[in-house]
Amino acid sequence: MRYGAGANAVTALERIDLSVDRNEFVTIVGPSGCGKSTLLYLVGGFLAPSAGELLFEGAPIRGPGPERGIVFQRYSLFPWLTVAGNIAFGLEERGMRAAERERVVAEHIRLVHLEGFADRYPRELSGGMQQRVAIAQTLACQPAVLLMDEPFGALDAQTRRILQDELRRIWRRDTKTVLFVTHDVEEAVALGTRIVVMAARPGRIKEIATRDFEVREGEELEANPAFVALKLRIWRSVKEEVDAARSAGIPL
Amino acid sequence: MTTPRRTWLGPLASVAPLLIVLAAWQLASAAGALPKAVLPALTDVAKALAALIGSGEIFPHTLASLARAGIGLAVAVVVGIALGIAMARMRVVRLAFEPFLLLIYPVPKPALIPLFMIWLGIGDFSKIAVIALGCLLPVVTAAFNGARSVDEVLLWSARARGVSERRLLWRVVLPATLPQIATGVRTALAISIIILVSSEFLSSQEGLGYLISSYGGVGADDSMLAVVIYLAAIGYALDRLYLAALRRFMSWHAFAH
Amino acid sequence: MRSRTEPSQGEPSRAAGALARYLPIGVLLLAWELVTRLGWVNPFVFPPVSEILLRWIALIGDGSMFTPLKDTLWRALTGLAGAIAVGVPLGILMGRQRWAEWFFEPLFSFAFPLPKIALIPLFVQWFGLFDLSKVMLIFTDCLFPLVVFSYHGAKGVSPIYVWSAQARGASRWRVLRRVVLPMALASVYDGVLVAVVVALLVAVVTEMVSGGSGLGQTMIRAYRYGDVRTAFATLLTISLIGAALYRVAQALRGRFLSWHVGEA
Repeated sequence: MRYGAGANAVTALERIDLSVDRNEFVTIVGPSGCGKSTLLYLVGGFLAPSAGELLFEGAPIRGPGPERGIVFQRYSLFPWLTVAGNIAFGLEERGMRAAERERVVAEHIRLVHLEGFADRYPRELSGGMQQRVAIAQTLACQPAVLLMDEPFGALDAQTRRILQDELRRIWRRDTKTVLFVTHDVEEAVALGTRIVVMAARPGRIKEIATRDFEVREGEELEANPAFVALKLRIWRSVKEEVDAARSAGIPL
Repeated sequence: MTTPRRTWLGPLASVAPLLIVLAAWQLASAAGALPKAVLPALTDVAKALAALIGSGEIFPHTLASLARAGIGLAVAVVVGIALGIAMARMRVVRLAFEPFLLLIYPVPKPALIPLFMIWLGIGDFSKIAVIALGCLLPVVTAAFNGARSVDEVLLWSARARGVSERRLLWRVVLPATLPQIATGVRTALAISIIILVSSEFLSSQEGLGYLISSYGGVGADDSMLAVVIYLAAIGYALDRLYLAALRRFMSWHAFAH
Repeated sequence: MRSRTEPSQGEPSRAAGALARYLPIGVLLLAWELVTRLGWVNPFVFPPVSEILLRWIALIGDGSMFTPLKDTLWRALTGLAGAIAVGVPLGILMGRQRWAEWFFEPLFSFAFPLPKIALIPLFVQWFGLFDLSKVMLIFTDCLFPLVVFSYHGAKGVSPIYVWSAQARGASRWRVLRRVVLPMALASVYDGVLVAVVVALLVAVVTEMVSGGSGLGQTMIRAYRYGDVRTAFATLLTISLIGAALYRVAQALRGRFLSWHVGEA
């Protein structure tokens, strides 16, 4: 799969040339305003590039579709549907039979550890639980690519850690291609096999790093020297951009 | 300073002030402080109400009034929701209907009652029509505003799961707009009763407004007040029933009250 | 970059914007004119727009619209003023004093769904057929939104503001005047906006029902004599006055609430 996109009228993104291979977990990190979410929405087909092209498995992207599922940061659950209803939503669109739907929904509820909450409404769930549902409802549609827009950004630190581990577990089990946007450097390094650092104004790719060591289940990342080194390197790279913007007088 | 006091009286607490006022009324009348000409005693009004209900006389009037308001409201709700959502999502529809709504908006709807009577006759149809028109605006406005402000994230999330543009309206926009529509309908409910009573005052042969106006006209104050209180109770009950139905059918929504 | 889901919006000039807003209305009026001229609609029920406008200009010109307008307007404003004077303090009291809330909230809650218009015969009995009964009914009807909005506004003042003032030695009265009142003002003013509309509405309806003078009465009488053009012209005046009053109230809002977070 290859993605290459271009700039827009406000030049949110410039000269992006990025290819993502199958089953990669690519994290995109950068300061505010670097266009990382914009890039994700372009891939998702919610925005159209003003120049350049976006290709998915060789074919141009023409709009949103279930092969590129997306998980938003919040408010992506339909408040009028239960947990089960939200997960079943994409399946209904496909015309899946009720029995089959139930099976898939149950499977995905188990996947995100929300057993017993199938009949709850979103307003009854905590932020972390809502995000689990958001992940489940997208995965239920069996997308080839999973787009994630700072999915854990609105959660507290502990919940975030827990969900990161869950996400890694899920990814290991059903390996998919993931494009994960975050502003949290640690999250980017902990999750991504490839880390894309972006710069702001105009949004562009600054550098791409590869994580060449494995992260084990339940590992204490702070005790892993390779992790700490990589995290520091990426952090410095991002900080450079933040400082550059500040000295240029651009408020962040 | 922050001790919750409601718990020990519960629902009774809300009835108490009403009872106090009623008791004060009765006492004042009994003591002679409130002459019959000004306000009949509570007991007289109660007797009149009992008579009206007991004889069954009030029921055909109740039915007539409720039917008029109910049909007008129902029409306005169905048309209003459809129109409001269509206007929000399709420019053409908005362009076509907005001028009419803007023109009607500043006109006090009861002022249109005589016009409708000339146009559609003095029977039920004209009343229902003007009630429908009066109720239309709050519903359309609520549906329009709600449909316009549906969170983009919900729409994108649906599209990313294979929902076509056409089905989007029915599967996402409509449910997402329901809370706002519900508020609009509640306003419309109140408006329907106002226009109903106004139209019945101006011209009718039956209905609760007609009863009030004719009893008032012949000086039968106790019967008139009986019907007024009866009407107030009905209005209150309808509003409460509406809220209860909302809580039941829209249990997924976090209501502010 | 365009969003795939929204139509692309250009940036129209101000003149073009105004035209876009009023042109559709103009088209609608033109259609009305044509439809009545062509006889598709009974011109006795819907006279042509041009004739309505001419009659309206004539009535303004010879001053015969003036007295009814004056009567309606002063009734509405008097009733409104009274309702503000009584309703706002009452609402604020309810919002800050438990006992007042306990007593009054159920009363207003219960009476709210009753159209106060149903009390016209009663008020006529008490206050006569002329101005006073109308003003009293306007007062009663306007009371409700003012009390409700003031109540919620006063009640919803964040305790943090109150505590901050108290910790700096402000007395109860001062807290009320200098903290609660300004914070509640936005909600109170929302109530005023609603009440303005109600005031005119009730004025017109009472005039339609119990006669006397005023725009409502003029309109009904015109219909009774089959003078539809005058009736519509009066309706036009009513609508214009209503819209004007509301606009004025909205404009004044900015003056009173310039500091307010949210909107002016």
